[in-house]
Amino acid sequence: MAVKTKTEQGKITLGKNQMIVVALVSLAVLAAAYMGTNQPANAEQIQTTTSTTLAKDVVVEKPAQQQDSQVKVEVYHFHATNQCWSCKTLGELAEKTVNTYFKNELDSGRLKFGHINIQLAQNAELTNKYGATGSSLMIGVYKDGKFTKEEDTKVWYKLNNEEDYLAYLKGVLDKRLKGDLS
Amino acid sequence: MDFMAFMETMGTYNIPVVAAFFIGLMTAFSPCPLTTNITAVAYISRKLDNSRHTILVGLVYTLGRMASYAGLASLIVYVGLNTQDIALFLQNYGEKILGPVLLIVGLVMLEVIQLNLGGRGDFLNKSMEKLSEKGYLGGFLLGMLFALAFCPFSAVLYFGMLIPLALKTHDGLIIPSVFALATGLPVIISSILLVNGVSKLGKMVNKAQTIEKTVRRMLATLFVAVGIYYILRLII
Repeated sequence: MAVKTKTEQGKITLGKNQMIVVALVSLAVLAAAYMGTNQPANAEQIQTTTSTTLAKDVVVEKPAQQQDSQVKVEVYHFHATNQCWSCKTLGELAEKTVNTYFKNELDSGRLKFGHINIQLAQNAELTNKYGATGSSLMIGVYKDGKFTKEEDTKVWYKLNNEEDYLAYLKGVLDKRLKGDLS
Repeated sequence: MDFMAFMETMGTYNIPVVAAFFIGLMTAFSPCPLTTNITAVAYISRKLDNSRHTILVGLVYTLGRMASYAGLASLIVYVGLNTQDIALFLQNYGEKILGPVLLIVGLVMLEVIQLNLGGRGDFLNKSMEKLSEKGYLGGFLLGMLFALAFCPFSAVLYFGMLIPLALKTHDGLIIPSVFALATGLPVIISSILLVNGVSKLGKMVNKAQTIEKTVRRMLATLFVAVGIYYILRLII
């Protein structure tokens, strides 16, 4: 069937084939996403995982063993170049939490905080290590030579209430710094 | 208990389907899906001549969203695709899809472009023609595309909350479908309200069609402007 494009009173009339093209665009998106995937995922990829092999992928710091305290915690705010209001607030409040309650831990290096742009090539390793799927707050814990990561999604519900957000995240980090992963 | 605390409790409820529904509701009211949903309502109300038909287009639009969300979730849960790869890919291209689509929808509504599936032929052609004429095909495609146009916050809700739920329960169909239904709910409700509102308005002032036309033109121009804005943002 030939493409039927005709001009009629100055209006452009799209043929059936163009409609099919529109349909194919959405399929192409899925297909391209498929092609761009070179490793099979599994359930562990997004859930909290414990993996000793991942520990060697640390970009920004040396392994935790030589530290006096065994437990080290990382808090990363992952984001894209263009940030939405919620995404920015998420990071700002996280930064405020660690600066307010965990100054000592930050100074001693037991706690690490950073805003990580997932679209910059230099952050690819860290982004992959945490499996960040976009704007997110990730907490990583090094304990007994093991690395455990988790995405905290509850913070998203507390963006409108700074007090709640800070108190909640403080509670989580207090536990993690004690090595409590529950 | 405030609203967000309620949404958190329900969104993390231990019955997965309930949680999925409330994560979907959160999504429906987050900025990006809200924009696309308003676009959809405007598209759907383009022809407010037949109330049943308008509501049906709203449902078909939601079905389109369902197809995308369940399709993606199935690829992750059953096929085993990497969530991170898909998430980052769609967020990179989501905005790129949104601009042109808004522009095209705006132009269609302004009748600069006419989607015409003219031509005689086999059964498929005829059914395609019928679907498009009633706006079902357009509604479905719009739903599919809009669902795929992830913004940062909607991506958090889908990839950060819903997908883990789907993986945990190993369900790539029902959980995302319930989620999709909730994201499309405002459109379904709006289309019902619109139909009622317009028919009442029509009785009051015999000028519903004129009003409808003006509102539609204004919305269409807005879509074209927003579409161009999105496109320019990518170029500049």
